[in-house]
Amino acid sequence: MISQNTFLKRSWPMLIQCAEAHRKPRWLPVAKSKLYRIPKRPEVSEEERLELLRVNNNYKTQMRAIRRFYHEEMIKEKSTRDSASSEMSLRLEADEWERCVIINDKWNAQVATEREERRKIQLAEMEELALAKMEAKDKELKERLEKAAEEVRRQKALCETFITPDKLEEAIDYALANPIDYNYAIDLHGKTYLGTTTPTNVHKDEKTSTAV
Amino acid sequence: MLPPASGTGKYFAKAAKSIRLIRQGCTNRPFFHISVTQRRRLNSQPVIEQLGSYDPMPNINNEKLVALNLERIKYWLGKGAHVTPPVAEILGLSGFFPIHPRSYMTAWRNRKTEQENIAKQIEAEKAKESTAA
Repeated sequence: MISQNTFLKRSWPMLIQCAEAHRKPRWLPVAKSKLYRIPKRPEVSEEERLELLRVNNNYKTQMRAIRRFYHEEMIKEKSTRDSASSEMSLRLEADEWERCVIINDKWNAQVATEREERRKIQLAEMEELALAKMEAKDKELKERLEKAAEEVRRQKALCETFITPDKLEEAIDYALANPIDYNYAIDLHGKTYLGTTTPTNVHKDEKTSTAV
Repeated sequence: MLPPASGTGKYFAKAAKSIRLIRQGCTNRPFFHISVTQRRRLNSQPVIEQLGSYDPMPNINNEKLVALNLERIKYWLGKGAHVTPPVAEILGLSGFFPIHPRSYMTAWRNRKTEQENIAKQIEAEKAKESTAA
């Protein structure tokens, strides 16, 4: 029985993207156009053949030696690794370990001091920043309070001229008693020219005249 | 998920291994990993370990760059891995192996064709001179 995990956790996909997608599949016959084509044999002269044979033999011999060398080296390494559990090697390892621990401790201490210094500097910077921020906030608050107080003061000053229901009759009387004519012009020197050049209340005048 | 091209590290202990070039580039841009795989696996299948890379296209300095992890190559050779001819050629040129016979062969064949071409050129020039005279 094949479990689901064999499909889900396999190391390579079930469908392989074939690199040689442009090639003819193995099971298809030879193409018709290539059926009677006889490929040309490579021509190697006798001289060249002998030379190649010699070079190849040399190469093979050398390669065999190299292979054997690496194989023996591997076996040697393996044996040394296996015999590494002897007392001598254990002691050596312990010494090495101690040295490593000492160096590591030294580095750790150094890094710790550096970190402490850095942290102090960072803390000071943060405090400064916080203080500056608080100051700025206080200042802004004060400014806003001042602005508000100023506004209140101005409004209070204005308040005296407001027309309240009590003063309403009085204000109306005053307004009726003192009509102001805004039909004037001002020149650059601030001089006022009263009156109008064109009659504005002709209509009203006519009405009154007819009534009279 | 596809297995990494740098190798899965998984293999059967007794299966034959082979150090070979595995094409990783795209169309019209060949690039090869030098990898160790099981010998009977296809090049499209996951490899055991990548041991280097080979860029066959010359760069602006007219160099074909090769990277090799010699330590691991030694290890795998010690384990009895086979080496395919192209990789053996590269290793030979890098000085790790003796020069591969095929390198010698291509060299002397190239030399021969060059000499022939030069001789042809000289003959052609001579013929030109004779016709001019």
